[in-house]
Amino acid sequence: MAAPKKQIQQLARQLFAMSLAEGRLSAERVVAVLAYLEKNPPAQPIAVLKAYYRLVAAEYAKGQAVVEHAGPIAGNLLASIEVSMSQRYQRPIVAVAKENPALLAGLRVRVGDDVYESSVANQLAGLSV
Amino acid sequence: MSTVLEQIEQQIAKLSSKAVRKNTGVIRTVADGVAKIDGISDVMYNEMVQFPGGAIGIALNLEQDEVGCVILGDISGLKEGDEVQTTGKLLSIPVGKGLLGRVVDALGNPVDGKGPIESRENYPVEKIAPGIIERKSVSQPLFTGIMAIDSMIPIGRGQRELIIGDRGTGKTTIAIDTIINQAKINKVGLASGDKSFRPVYSIYVAIGQKNSNIVRTLGALEAAGALEYTVIVAAPAADNPANQYLAPYSGASVGEWFMENGMDALIVYDDLSKHAVAYRQISLILKRPSGREAYPGDVFYLHSRLLERAARLDGKGSLTALPIIETLAGDVSAYIPTNVISITDGQIFLETDLFNQGIRPAVSVGLSVSRVGSAAQIKATKQVGGKLKGELAQFRELAAFAQFGSDLDAKTKAQLDRGGRIVELFKQPAFNPVPIEQQVVTLWAISKGYYDSLEIKKVTAAAVSLREFFSTRKDTLLTEIRTKAALDKDLEAKIKTAMDEWKSSYSA
Repeated sequence: MAAPKKQIQQLARQLFAMSLAEGRLSAERVVAVLAYLEKNPPAQPIAVLKAYYRLVAAEYAKGQAVVEHAGPIAGNLLASIEVSMSQRYQRPIVAVAKENPALLAGLRVRVGDDVYESSVANQLAGLSV
Repeated sequence: MSTVLEQIEQQIAKLSSKAVRKNTGVIRTVADGVAKIDGISDVMYNEMVQFPGGAIGIALNLEQDEVGCVILGDISGLKEGDEVQTTGKLLSIPVGKGLLGRVVDALGNPVDGKGPIESRENYPVEKIAPGIIERKSVSQPLFTGIMAIDSMIPIGRGQRELIIGDRGTGKTTIAIDTIINQAKINKVGLASGDKSFRPVYSIYVAIGQKNSNIVRTLGALEAAGALEYTVIVAAPAADNPANQYLAPYSGASVGEWFMENGMDALIVYDDLSKHAVAYRQISLILKRPSGREAYPGDVFYLHSRLLERAARLDGKGSLTALPIIETLAGDVSAYIPTNVISITDGQIFLETDLFNQGIRPAVSVGLSVSRVGSAAQIKATKQVGGKLKGELAQFRELAAFAQFGSDLDAKTKAQLDRGGRIVELFKQPAFNPVPIEQQVVTLWAISKGYYDSLEIKKVTAAAVSLREFFSTRKDTLLTEIRTKAALDKDLEAKIKTAMDEWKSSYSA
């Protein structure tokens, strides 16, 4: 009998809680959890892994600032974004650059669910509405 | 061309290079008008969520791993992986006098093809009802124009009076007659120049109705000249359940604008049974636990928070609510009817048997009640109609006996005759509300025995003739009754003289 969705979510959350060290995602612990699951697969292992992956990905995204840009960016821009975002969210955040010519100009910084938009493409989209 | 260029230049000048923060999420599933979203960690309950393509959703289920949003609008363009964002706003609707004469949907968008709505203000769709201190007790009458109701089940401004009955018993007709009567009173009152006159604006909320019914209602209001004082909020059966769920709250927001700006408004919810069904559908799709008859556990709160928004406010205006509930096989003890009966300040119960017997409006006087009662009646109506309810109750008891035997004493026969005449008198055609001053003279006539010499079947025609006589030849007397609102000896003498004049010229 298939495990209900609630039980799968509960198990995934428990596994996620075990993947944290001092409130932050730990790569070693994630590896350990995955090794455990390989040896002791639960009922509906794919569903559990998918739910676990979503939780880990969301937590990982909270520690990363994806800086989308069109064209070249100044050398210290990433460092200054790291500092300001770390201050804002009160946790260490690593800035990662990603080129996106569709922005035309300006920046889009994504930290977890938050998006800081200052691109020409977004402003033009606002005009068209 | 230069205007278009100017507009573009103005828009470009407004552009700012300041960074804008958005809270975003990703659609995980979309089905049956509900989207499950990953992310949007900052979302709050009932917050508007912006979907791609202009669709809007309301966050109704905030769970640990996902957010359940009901989508208002077209969902056909949405797919898994689409990005959504929070708006930081609660759903709101344009309000104001600019909505009068218009037909809008649950979001306040016009659907009558008459152009955009002129509105300066927006009110939130969900709002907490006024508290105890802000309220004032109901003491001003709201005349429906239906004699059976105004004389025996009077409604006041700020009251909630339920209209309940089976399908096809005339519930909507009573509501529309009330709206038409308000329009007639408004026209007379505004034309009189009386500065103390307070017009009543009406809001008709159609929930889950057939489009043809809404068009028919619209036509009836237009033909009676009532549309200019009415706002129609339409969420027909073809609309998604989320729109049907929100429409009554949107209508209440429109009514609250009038109430909070010192005006009086009337709102009709037609009908709340379909509203409960739409909410049940949304709740089941959101996987909320179901209770009795598969309704969610908070179905009482669904209607109580809506109907509590109708009130009379101290120092401001009032909002009178006429919710409609459809019963099945006359069962008023079913779940939703009992819920709404316990919330409202009375009910008008319509019976199928009475309707089929030709008694229309098919108001069951025995089961109907107004908890505000005579506090919402003018003195004149109390003077002429105070005893009617009791007489009809006696008539009903005796009528049950009379069908078994033929030997009745004179007193019983007289009571049966009298009751039969009163029942006949209260018959009224649809979309034909009677002004209160004409009701007073009609009831005065029956209390003084002016119909006793007529056959019971001819009482209705006689009453019509009487009202016509008074409206064409005794208009000043009617105006005096309306303005004085009470019958003194002098006024009664004038009525008697006029009545004798009518009687002498009338032949059945």
